[in-house]
Amino acid sequence: MSVETQQSVATLRMPGGLGGLLPALILIGLFFVVPVLALLLRSVTDPAPGFQNYAALLGDGTYARVFFNTFLVAAVVTSVTVLVAFPVAWMLAIMPPALASIVFGVIVLSMWTNLLTRTYAWMVLLQRTGVINRALMATGLIDQPLPLINNLTGVTIGMVYIMLPFMILPLVGTLRAIDPMTLRAAALCGASPFQAFRRILLPLSLPGVAAGGLMVFVMSLGYFVTPALLGGTSNMMLAEMIAQMIQSLLNWGLGSAAAFILLVVTMALYALQLRLVGVRRATGGV
Amino acid sequence: MKLIFAGILAGLLTTTAAKAEDMVFTSWGGTTQEAQTKSWAEPFTAASGVKVLQDGPTDYGKLKAMVDAGNVSWDVVDVEMDFAIKAAKDGLLEPIDFNAVPKVDLDPRFTTDHAVGSFYYSFVLAWNKGAVSGEPAGWADMFDLKKSPGKRAFYKWSAPGVIEIALLADGVPADKLYPLDLDRAFKKLDTIKSDIVWWSGGAESQQLIASGEAAFGQLWNGRVFALEKDGADVGVTWGQNLTAADVLVVPKGAKNKDAAMKFLAAASSPTSQAKFAEASGYAPINTKAKAEMPADAVKALPDAHVDGQINLDMKYWAEHRDEIATRWYAWQAK
Repeated sequence: MSVETQQSVATLRMPGGLGGLLPALILIGLFFVVPVLALLLRSVTDPAPGFQNYAALLGDGTYARVFFNTFLVAAVVTSVTVLVAFPVAWMLAIMPPALASIVFGVIVLSMWTNLLTRTYAWMVLLQRTGVINRALMATGLIDQPLPLINNLTGVTIGMVYIMLPFMILPLVGTLRAIDPMTLRAAALCGASPFQAFRRILLPLSLPGVAAGGLMVFVMSLGYFVTPALLGGTSNMMLAEMIAQMIQSLLNWGLGSAAAFILLVVTMALYALQLRLVGVRRATGGV
Repeated sequence: MKLIFAGILAGLLTTTAAKAEDMVFTSWGGTTQEAQTKSWAEPFTAASGVKVLQDGPTDYGKLKAMVDAGNVSWDVVDVEMDFAIKAAKDGLLEPIDFNAVPKVDLDPRFTTDHAVGSFYYSFVLAWNKGAVSGEPAGWADMFDLKKSPGKRAFYKWSAPGVIEIALLADGVPADKLYPLDLDRAFKKLDTIKSDIVWWSGGAESQQLIASGEAAFGQLWNGRVFALEKDGADVGVTWGQNLTAADVLVVPKGAKNKDAAMKFLAAASSPTSQAKFAEASGYAPINTKAKAEMPADAVKALPDAHVDGQINLDMKYWAEHRDEIATRWYAWQAK
């Protein structure tokens, strides 16, 4: 995060920097700002002018539950992703470079495989008659198939798998930038490995965790395919509800309003994150 | 602004643009669209020289976006009949030119001013023989968790079918189904809600039953027919089979309207309908088609099971589509 900020500041200072930004700004204006404004407009004009779409969304228990589900899933996915990604990233950071590049290759390769294919693969693995349940039942560990799909468990497994690279990559960058001497110094001062992790490594890696976590959280908020295929209807997420409103109900006003609320909440979270990271940097501590 | 938005959307969504003399046919994919291509599009192209590009799956949001933006890349679309009635009322469809499409032999149940029947089908109770012992008697078995344990597969989207099944299982007589008692239906569905797996497309429904992931399912009869043809270990109960129909429509402002009307005439002809019915197990909407089919193929059609058959009320659904859908999705998300 901090590295990115410094880079953009550097770009701005370059002579002609603003001119160089122009193509990107036009692109964003044309393909992001204009559609978003159209969306906003539709949400207050379709089917009639007024705020009835927002009133319907905010006043209805069903929609409130879907909003809650969306944030719950995103939070669970982000937490699990951080827990799984941290050891992998640390290993990558301290591995010999030749070996690390192979592991990197494997991680990045998974991102190149079609998302739908990967999600269907999880369906085959997780379903009641799937590979995992059959293996567990054959070994006698369980009598009844575990409910691994069409629920929060299925969504979490499927999404964590997809989100891992987005967490690992920023984290490795941060961890590599930590001077290994700090850990050695901690050990020399008598810190146990756990103390060294908790008081040195973890605080120093927080910017990476924050950057990756924010990315994963925001991406999870808008996710469609994986929750739709691996989740049940009772933990429906917002993106799926919006798709229903647009495709099935043909209620574009309501769908636009829901999409706009999601966008506003996401941007507010991003702003909050920037502030928190900014404060941390400003005070020079954690 | 509305136009700009719709234009951008349609622009982004448009994947197939037809050249002059070509036309685009959109349907639901899978074994159904394959049969439509072979039975309708290929002979039509051979006879007329008009190339038929295939697109899909049918997406009502996309259809509306194209019409709103005035940039319609689909010429003929296979849609559910209740949607067609509603869409015609909303001005999304071209009227059918019955000078070009001979109407006389078409089943009047599935012909409207804005739609020609595509095929009609039944929702039937399909089950995996390995997961269910004995033969389920009817829809009520799907709500009896003690007698028949296992997951139940139902159609995910708000459409004619599941509500009626719940009411029939709850003891509502077939002739008293409409107007639908939604409270009663959802109450009945609540009793098995945690054992329902939802399927959103035909291939998924086939996979659920064939693998035994779900013990029973409410399936389109053509999808069960295809499973049986492939030798899957599935059974089918036709009692209380529920008929519904797909129809072919031309979106308002379609670029190749003349070709589209010619295609409709060809697709609804006795020969085309007979060929499709034989390949898919779905029933023809041309009353002369059955005479052109082999006797054993006729036996696989919903027509062979009129005993206890119930016609889902498309007009009722067209009128109450939005109201039911709103409640349906709210109930699902609970």
